[in-house]
Amino acid sequence: MTLSPSSTVEPAIEVKNICKSFGFRRAVSNLSFEVQRGEFLTIFGANGAGKTTLLNILSGRTRPSSGTAKVAGFDVTEANPKMRKEIGVISHATCLYPDLSPLENLEFYAKMYGLDRPEECAEKAVEGAGLKKRRHDPVRTFSRGMLQRLTIARATLHQPSILFLDEPFTGLDPLASGALKDYLRSLHTDQRTLLMTTHDISCGLEMGDHIAVQIDGRFALMEPNNGLDPVAFESRYMNLITGGKEG
Amino acid sequence: MREYLNQIIAIVRKDFLTEMKTRELFSSMFVFAVLVIIIFIFTVDLSITRSNEVGPGVMWVAIFFSGAIGLNRSFMLEKENGCMQGLLLTPADRTAIYFGKLISNLGFLTLMEAFILPVFMVFFNIDLLPHFFPLLLVIFLGTLGFCAIGTLLASLAANLKTRDIMLPILLYPLMVPIAIASVRMTGKILAGEPLSEMLNWMGLVLCFDIIFIGTAVMTIDHILEE
Repeated sequence: MTLSPSSTVEPAIEVKNICKSFGFRRAVSNLSFEVQRGEFLTIFGANGAGKTTLLNILSGRTRPSSGTAKVAGFDVTEANPKMRKEIGVISHATCLYPDLSPLENLEFYAKMYGLDRPEECAEKAVEGAGLKKRRHDPVRTFSRGMLQRLTIARATLHQPSILFLDEPFTGLDPLASGALKDYLRSLHTDQRTLLMTTHDISCGLEMGDHIAVQIDGRFALMEPNNGLDPVAFESRYMNLITGGKEG
Repeated sequence: MREYLNQIIAIVRKDFLTEMKTRELFSSMFVFAVLVIIIFIFTVDLSITRSNEVGPGVMWVAIFFSGAIGLNRSFMLEKENGCMQGLLLTPADRTAIYFGKLISNLGFLTLMEAFILPVFMVFFNIDLLPHFFPLLLVIFLGTLGFCAIGTLLASLAANLKTRDIMLPILLYPLMVPIAIASVRMTGKILAGEPLSEMLNWMGLVLCFDIIFIGTAVMTIDHILEE
């Protein structure tokens, strides 16, 4: 499946027939799609549909059992450091050291990404995340919303062109959720490619310019989001994930 | 190359910074090593056995046992909040991660040894000062081998549910050659023999140090990935 009409520019994400099995269970099943540069794809799906596995494959953390996937032009199975410079990942884990402060955490990651002037980068990112006042406090004392902001700052510290977000709105209050939406919009307008998985239908529809529904490792639906109605889409979505048994 | 070294230094700095804030690793390693020495003091009759015959064995047992605690804890730190995931997502070479963790572990264990040796001297009534430099070399070589293979195995065991049990089970059999050589060399040093008398043992330890580091460099990529 392709989201936009094919262009001469290489797609940001190109997936061809990828499968991933854990023992006898297939988490991703023969999945093919493309995401063009600057697009925002939202993937909906029930728990266990294979969304996180798909993101793990695309970010190079899990090898697919078969098939090929390219991200920013790099084969994900090659574990290319250049690819890792191009991507940012926000997963369920914050990837932050709880005993270190936001500044220390981000300075560490800036050094690991080989950024120039890591102290300055960390300082700027902490300020951008709105945590300047608490920049010296240990991260373990932070609320969920603050942690999520810092996690995004960590994932975007190296200015990646492609961002993978795995249920980023989980556990956030409406205020934090709104702030995160604004931040993601700003990243999207910067021509970054975003791929987000979520259970939150209204949020996902609001953010994504393309949507997909993943069921049992496959995309049961993939289409552009031309102002889809959340209520109508929710009923379609429920029909898809229950196999038409509901409603 | 500069970026590679900066990444190693960043990992070491981060580990020491965390330890300075929590003081969990050093204190648990030190207390455990002291306990091992005290237990041996009560179980070995030093009126029958000479201290410098049994002492080296006790010293290395204390170092290896407390070192295993340190190795386990060192990778637990990376598992917390999925930090290892974050590290693997950076463009850093996997061997840089290994060397960073190896230097951290070596640093913590060396620091612990600096504190445990005076305790050992007092309890076993052995004067280590006349043999200080040869002993320092032997302790460094033994500790390097222990940390080289220990860091690799700790990274492997970190993904297992039974990591606390698995690390010693995997580590101690591999440590046998280094343990034997280190204990023999320490015994000879305490008996006043010069280093030139123990070149074979030293060569053996050095060979294992190189083999362990080489193995780690070749396999760390696969171990840290899935």
